Amino acid sequence: MKKFFEPSRTTLLHRANPALKLLLFVLLFVLTLFVHRIDMSFYLACTFLLLLFVGSGYPVWKTALMAAGFTLALASASLTMILFGKGSEIWWAFGPISISKESFYRGLHLGFRSIAFGSQGLLFVLTTSSTGLFYALMQRLKLSPKYAYSFMASIRLLPMVGEELRIRREALAVRGAGAGSAGLLRLPELYALPLLAQSIRRAQRTAAAMEVKRFDAGKQRTYYYASPFTRSDAAVLLVLACAAAAAFLLAQELPIFGLGDMRMDP
Amino acid sequence: MSTKVSGAAPRRKGLTLTDVLVTVVVSLVLGIVYHLWASVSSVAGLLFLQSNELVYGMWFAASTLAFLLIRKPGVALIAEIAAAHLEIAFGSAYGIQLLLYSVVQGLGAELVFAAFRYRKATAFVAGLAGIAAAAGSLLADIYYGYVTEYATWLLILKYTLRAISGFVIAGYLMYGLAKLLEKAGVTQSLQPVDRKEYDALDS
Repeated sequence: MKKFFEPSRTTLLHRANPALKLLLFVLLFVLTLFVHRIDMSFYLACTFLLLLFVGSGYPVWKTALMAAGFTLALASASLTMILFGKGSEIWWAFGPISISKESFYRGLHLGFRSIAFGSQGLLFVLTTSSTGLFYALMQRLKLSPKYAYSFMASIRLLPMVGEELRIRREALAVRGAGAGSAGLLRLPELYALPLLAQSIRRAQRTAAAMEVKRFDAGKQRTYYYASPFTRSDAAVLLVLACAAAAAFLLAQELPIFGLGDMRMDP
Repeated sequence: MSTKVSGAAPRRKGLTLTDVLVTVVVSLVLGIVYHLWASVSSVAGLLFLQSNELVYGMWFAASTLAFLLIRKPGVALIAEIAAAHLEIAFGSAYGIQLLLYSVVQGLGAELVFAAFRYRKATAFVAGLAGIAAAAGSLLADIYYGYVTEYATWLLILKYTLRAISGFVIAGYLMYGLAKLLEKAGVTQSLQPVDRKEYDALDS
């Protein structure tokens, strides 16, 4: 599993500062959120899907495998809207279902947007390491170290929960407890309680040790990993801006659907 | 006795690293549940139209459970963000989106607890926080999914079910779980201690 999630080459996006990248991608998300024309959402999906394949640093087949989930997202984003959305030009109606021209294209638009969101999000997570992100947030965005180190430590504590779950399951099996349908009702008591209790106690012990070692010291501290701004950051800013601008220009010059705002009363 | 033992010193009002780490760890355990809950939700969705909303409240549970355990300002918001952060750490394509959703939902829950000045940690207040989180998710859905463009009956059905689910799962269910943990004796050292209790020790 770990081998699978190793990029075969590092791209510009890997070299950029994670904190800046997070800001840029949140900005992109908000920008995409305020796109209400289907031509624009279609081209946004196209450009960022392309950027994902070029910029993620993974072989094409791996990227395609990971992007395959987008089809499901497209379906779930658009289907309810297509079947139950408001609209005046009815194409087909049956019981509570009514498919209209407006609801159909609106659903499709939502589907395209979800592909755009997915491509942006995948591009971000595939090129950013969790540790790198928190070091960058501390150094560049002045995130308090107690939050950053808590988040980083908690990820390391997580495998132990899995291990405990296994032990708990086996212990219950040995005693012949927790089987059958009655076991389902006692799930909180049998599993949630011991796992949470252990996690809380372990977190307290770990935190006590971390406080003694001054992990929460705010001022005048040094960092194991430096996280500076570099020329790659400017380049990434440029690339992302170009991708968004290209989608905008294509929607203006080569509209496929030629429809206006997708909402009934914007 | 006039000498102060360091362990007995009143804890700082704000969040300490211990508070944050416990919140984050509890939330990550729930984050795993969040992740698996997607399949529970799709099974529940087979019952009737929008019936998957009946289990939606689980996705607000981190903020209420964390608050019921730690009872400090800010915990509910951090908890929800931490649970969503797991998706980014695991490399989900929709991580950024879930992160922004978690901020809105966590803020909703946080506001309810703040309205009671962080003093009330009852099942009912937690339920209200669950409803507020559902309202937060509605706000995000309006932009993200154009839900106001649904037929009106569907819109009402969907979000009524979600609010009920938030009230029951994030409220009463998490309260029950917090009570169980309290009985097991893990929570005493987490919650802020009143000045009164120290005075009772001194006299």
